[in-house]
Amino acid sequence: MRPVSIVSFAQSGGRVDVEETETQMLYPVVSEAIERSGIPRQEIGFTCSGSADYLAGAPFAFVGNLEATGAWPPISESHVEMDGAWALYEAWVRLQHGDVDVALVFSSGISSRGNLREVLCLQNDPYYLMPLWADHVSLAALQARAYLDASGAKESDLAEVASRSRRNALSNPNALLSGEQGPDELLAEPYVVSPLRASDCPPVTDGAAAAILVAGDRAREVCDRPAWIRGIDHRIDPHYIGVRDLSRSESARVAAQHAGVGDAPVEVAELAAAFSHEELILREALGLGDEVEINPSGGALVSNPMMVSGLTRIGEAFRQINENGRHRAVGHAASGPCLQQNLVCVLEGD
Amino acid sequence: MSEAETTVEDDPNAPVRFMQQVISLDYVVRTSPMNRYFGRKLRDRQIVGHKCPSCGIVYVPPRGFCPICVVETSEADEVEISDKGIVTSWTVLTPIHYHGQTEREDYALASILLEGADGTIGQQRLVDVELDQIRMGMRVEAVWAEESDTERGGDVRGFGFGNAIAGFRATEGPDAPPEAYEKHTL
Amino acid sequence: MAERCAVIGVGQTHHTKVRDDVSLAGLLREASVRALEDAEMTWRDIDAVVIGTAPDSFEGVMMPELYLADALGAAGKPIMRVHTAGSVGGSTAIVAAHLVQSGVRERVLTVAFEKQSEGDTTWGLSGGRSGGVGAGGYFAPHIRAYIERSKAPEYVGWMVAVKDRKNALKNPYAHLKVPDITLEMVRDSPMVWEPVRRLESCPASDGACAMVLTNEAGGDRAEVPAWVHGTAIRSELGQFPGRDPVNPKGGQDCAADVYAQAGITDPKNDFDVVECYVPFSWYEPMWMENLGFAPIGDGWKMTEEGETEMDGALPVNASGGVLSSNPIGASGMLRFAEAALQVRGLAGEHQIDGVRTALGHAYGGASQFFAMWVLRSTKP
Repeated sequence: MRPVSIVSFAQSGGRVDVEETETQMLYPVVSEAIERSGIPRQEIGFTCSGSADYLAGAPFAFVGNLEATGAWPPISESHVEMDGAWALYEAWVRLQHGDVDVALVFSSGISSRGNLREVLCLQNDPYYLMPLWADHVSLAALQARAYLDASGAKESDLAEVASRSRRNALSNPNALLSGEQGPDELLAEPYVVSPLRASDCPPVTDGAAAAILVAGDRAREVCDRPAWIRGIDHRIDPHYIGVRDLSRSESARVAAQHAGVGDAPVEVAELAAAFSHEELILREALGLGDEVEINPSGGALVSNPMMVSGLTRIGEAFRQINENGRHRAVGHAASGPCLQQNLVCVLEGD
Repeated sequence: MSEAETTVEDDPNAPVRFMQQVISLDYVVRTSPMNRYFGRKLRDRQIVGHKCPSCGIVYVPPRGFCPICVVETSEADEVEISDKGIVTSWTVLTPIHYHGQTEREDYALASILLEGADGTIGQQRLVDVELDQIRMGMRVEAVWAEESDTERGGDVRGFGFGNAIAGFRATEGPDAPPEAYEKHTL
Repeated sequence: MAERCAVIGVGQTHHTKVRDDVSLAGLLREASVRALEDAEMTWRDIDAVVIGTAPDSFEGVMMPELYLADALGAAGKPIMRVHTAGSVGGSTAIVAAHLVQSGVRERVLTVAFEKQSEGDTTWGLSGGRSGGVGAGGYFAPHIRAYIERSKAPEYVGWMVAVKDRKNALKNPYAHLKVPDITLEMVRDSPMVWEPVRRLESCPASDGACAMVLTNEAGGDRAEVPAWVHGTAIRSELGQFPGRDPVNPKGGQDCAADVYAQAGITDPKNDFDVVECYVPFSWYEPMWMENLGFAPIGDGWKMTEEGETEMDGALPVNASGGVLSSNPIGASGMLRFAEAALQVRGLAGEHQIDGVRTALGHAYGGASQFFAMWVLRSTKP
């Protein structure tokens, strides 16, 4: 495989009730990622983006976002109706061909204009599941219960994850929520859907993010410390939650295996665990022991812009290498109810 | 081409072929700061555009940036635009019925190139016009909402002028020549 | 250097207004099973799935790869969903080809679909608001501009409609079949979006199209592979002063890119057959110019002189095209797949003799998204 690295990353940060259009929110983020890369816009050979029409409540919502990229003269560009992490995957694949060296990846989503719990019900089988209006929080609660029962973990373990995430977020200006509440304080809150409390669930978040990928040695010319994509893979589990063991994430495990997570020690991992129990499930699936620092950014639990969360985790993993001198980091993205689909990316510094 | 469909009314023992499920999702439509600025000017019967400081193209309505140069524009780049212009292209639509559609009669939508703008504003309603008399290059002027005695107030989809302008009517003057509109089809 | 890629399986559904005999998953499986059988493979042999479809609001299913994973044998595998508006069927095939060409995957199943009977497309296009103009309402002014610029006679649009509808009679999968179609019938059909008449417009179809793509080793093992000689996609800003939506630069650039990859220097003579995305009849002459088959302003002459007929110099849409079957998300892939069938000699009654080189073309959005591929019966 051709070596490909991330050389820059920019994010709007987790916001809510944004007034500007999605394109206007995206515009400075894309510009910043390009500027930081040190590569002129014209040298971008491929662009790929992620977004979801149903968040915007309009068809072809992504089309307007082209205006944030300078798509004139016309550009070689594609789009996935998925988290930007999958757009990054597509860009990585494209860069393997050898004829193109630089790719732009971005994604955006404004979740605050609709009722996200209702909107995400449409991700379910339209004949049998959707009519039940089983929303993603309720489904997550089913998974949380399955996990607690199977693992012997307690609700206090969930509260530990929530508390630690909020404390980490105190030093992350891009996180929507942060706080100093300890686990006991969070445990005293009422359930939203048992066994999940509000602090076990992500906030509705708007946001955008962008990254520049470079293949080959050019990366070292433009970036002091690029983050090389040593492995990247994604897998999906069966859709119907009754046919899989919700206490484990098989697709995350297999994706991590193929991405080579276990090949060498991991220092830090940014996991797109939007619910507190998801972090515990993912740690097991990815084989991350206690020595691995999880979500120094606070993770998706404190800031969860839909369609951007996964790309942001990879971006934060990049930053750990690029800015914090770490050597080996994991970025993870998820999609669908109960961690149905997972993408794992292993990054290394030189 | 029509399939024979047995309904429950015809035969209660017939297999169920379709179950209708109407899903309703509510979304808030936000006006961006740029929309509000444009709207405030429209209230004073002023149409404004932004001129890109890099390439000089005038955009109406202003977007807050030039998508070609990828530079931001602001009030400092504001220019005044006339409420008169020409039709560069048009179509006459026979409304298709769907849930929520309120249009019933044939109507014309046109792209209008206003004096002072470099780009057209699309899908503008043509009012007080015979549907078979529309031409490219036809001179038009805005019918501001207060003047209009039509009930529907402009574009409820929030495009272009919102409900400040009910549509465009033909005005005096010879049609503009092809050079004026051929590069402004969109 | 990129790995070679071959199409070794093609499958599609019988496109029609309402497929109430299959669920959405069933529709995709029907096309997929046909493609797998054609490729002499089973679900187990596939190592990645790429699906594409138009806006989720057409069926009311958000991110359908989640629901469809099981039905497409994707559990435990990677699956992605591409969305590039009307060109999506084409760009989906290209994303699948990229996976093979990169060496990342060896046998990719790609499926594009639309089950329009399970939603309301016009409502979907309207974004839930009154006054939605539909696709035809958006493109009609561009068509008018083409007619004005080229001074083409009005019957050219009718001729394309008659040609594609006659071709459809030879395609067992096509949706609209009008056996007694005549120019007068088209001329007298109701005007829908002036100047576009009903019989000059595409239908709304339920349908799916699937292909199996594989690498060089897999192509060598197959009986009749169609080799990918070039793929290109372009996106263009949809709205800016001076933009030409009639002969968009994005289309020109996309064609130039794919022609260069495939060594095409004289498009009209180098191609034996073209499957191009014509949802409203006038797009045939418009794309003939945009793709470099005819000088600007003369595309309509190719139609008028019969060059695009099945027995003409450059058959266009022998399958009946989008005018005959339009499951929106699948339509682009159908063009790509029909190009593959032609190259492989498997197009049955609508096969053109001696096809070695074929072009598959798709477009979407405000004539701003383009996807194209060039296939040959021989390896690059």
